[in-house]
Amino acid sequence: MKLYIKATSTYLSDEELDIKKELKQRYKLDTRRQDSFIHLAVLGAQRLKDITDIKKDDELYLTSGVGNIDVIQRINRSVYEEKQFIKPFDFINTLGNTTSYYVATSLGIKGKNIFQISDNFTYINSLISIYSSLSMSKKEAIFGCVDLVSEPDEILKRVLGISENCELVSGVNYQKLSVNNEDSISEIEFDTKFYTLDEIKEILKDSDKEIFSSFRCSEIDAKKESKFFETELSYVINKRVESKKDMIYIDCFNGRYKILRLKSLR
Amino acid sequence: MHKTLSLLKCAIKSAQGDLRQTISAIKNSNINISTKIVSTFDAEMEIPYFLLQNRVEDSQKSIYKELKDIVSKIVVDLDKDDREKTALLVGTSLVDMNIVDVVNDSVYEYKRTPYYSSKKSIDSYAKDLVDEFGLNGFSMSVSTACTSSVNALLEASNLIQSGAFKYVVVLGVDIFSEMMSNGFSSMKLLSLGVQKPFDISRDGLVLGEAIAGILVGTESSSWVLKGGYSNCNSANITSVSASGEEYADVMQKAMHISNTNIGDITALKAHATSTPTNDMSEINAIKQLFDKDFRFTAIKPYIGHTLGACGILELAIFMSCVDDGFIPKTINHQDSIIDKYTPISEHLECKDGTFMLNYFGFGGNNTSIIIKKELV
Repeated sequence: MKLYIKATSTYLSDEELDIKKELKQRYKLDTRRQDSFIHLAVLGAQRLKDITDIKKDDELYLTSGVGNIDVIQRINRSVYEEKQFIKPFDFINTLGNTTSYYVATSLGIKGKNIFQISDNFTYINSLISIYSSLSMSKKEAIFGCVDLVSEPDEILKRVLGISENCELVSGVNYQKLSVNNEDSISEIEFDTKFYTLDEIKEILKDSDKEIFSSFRCSEIDAKKESKFFETELSYVINKRVESKKDMIYIDCFNGRYKILRLKSLR
Repeated sequence: MHKTLSLLKCAIKSAQGDLRQTISAIKNSNINISTKIVSTFDAEMEIPYFLLQNRVEDSQKSIYKELKDIVSKIVVDLDKDDREKTALLVGTSLVDMNIVDVVNDSVYEYKRTPYYSSKKSIDSYAKDLVDEFGLNGFSMSVSTACTSSVNALLEASNLIQSGAFKYVVVLGVDIFSEMMSNGFSSMKLLSLGVQKPFDISRDGLVLGEAIAGILVGTESSSWVLKGGYSNCNSANITSVSASGEEYADVMQKAMHISNTNIGDITALKAHATSTPTNDMSEINAIKQLFDKDFRFTAIKPYIGHTLGACGILELAIFMSCVDDGFIPKTINHQDSIIDKYTPISEHLECKDGTFMLNYFGFGGNNTSIIIKKELV
């Protein structure tokens, strides 16, 4: 399966920025009734819109490692600890597709809009969904990956299945994707197959590409990001696309491995 | 070249029981409904609620056990090779209870537990089911409010059409949640009586629990998914225009994409939440597309509004009713919002045909699908 990247946008919380202010002042967007997770998702979308045309019927897919923890924490406190009623907009914000709604509205998209999460390979599995959808519709997709570190970050660490001293970062990364390679800047290749560690080592042995991996793949000798968020693969891809470089990326869960290949077309 | 998508096997648990028991309850209008206490702005209040007969606790373990039971019925005929070519999608609007559990374990001193770490998300049910039944490792949970599981069905269709998988199991799940019922209560969308679809005196929805599943593939079957369309198009985050133009648009596009003409549609299963705004928009959309003799019905008065589960649940119930020879009447309806546009008031004899099923949700998600049954 191959998808072609037409444009990318990236924001990591390493970059000092008042996101809400940026959305209001630079992008003239109404930020009321939304929370930090939604603001982060909308910011990434606006940065993508800055550099590429977004069509009304582009398909919007959003994914995340765990979704909007902030709002669940807030409601949990209201309902179970303080025995208060839920504020209507907090309730609405618990729904995954609320974030998608605000992203779609800010981009002017009125077509397909899916918020989805996979417990293992959420980025690559979403690519499989997008590839399947675009193969049928022949449209283009806007794919956003959003991960917000909330306070305390221990919640996220416990949910992600990572060690207590792992350093986390919030990130939002978007790609505009197509099954058509016209005007594309990079190609990503992936499939539904799972690999064993031995198979992966065999594949990597003959590879002349730079190899990156998720921090979960401790047995693989590859470059890893120092700070973690669940959809970091989208960030690694965007960085490599920007530097016009190829790569092989390995991810793993519970002893099963996946490969993604990135090839620059510039 | 599009493959024909077959709706092969389904299983459900609703407040009326399993699929056979639910169809019997609908046929005989013998409806079982419970109550729950929810918090409101002022005080605690008892509301009607379609609860599953065997209580499913608001916990991962309890929900997983019920899902496992449904999946075991759906994949029973698939051999090892086929299971490895089968993906699993879940549609749900459930708030991620993994996060709730972890918030409790780490935020409040008096509840605090020693640090543990285990990758969990709302998709954990799906991932565990994949392992349990030897399915392909591809799992995904779609969360698009009340369109969650029907959108998962359309995603499943794409996964098969593209050749990525041979089969897909699609599940819909929503069970009682304090957060969810409290949220609907805060929005003043809950009825204290019964759901009255498209009735001038409708006053809100009654929530329901359900777990439903369907197996989708390409082998021959009497029921096929002709196609469907899903979009994000609304006046605001909770509703579309009163004119229903957004609903009419998605219904038209569903027909277009499935090469279906208005005259081909035997009947429509409406989304019909019985809330003032949603029903007004939907009846106006129906009026824009169909003449006054058109037959449409609502299933929610029998099983409640099961939110993210309603996509697969109402699909399974509708198909099984037709398999049983009838389209279910709409109960609790007396006076239509729009004169002469009235849902069917008696069970309608029907053994085959082409049907439209509507699903609309918060967050602007609107979905309409077209299914067809041919007598073999």
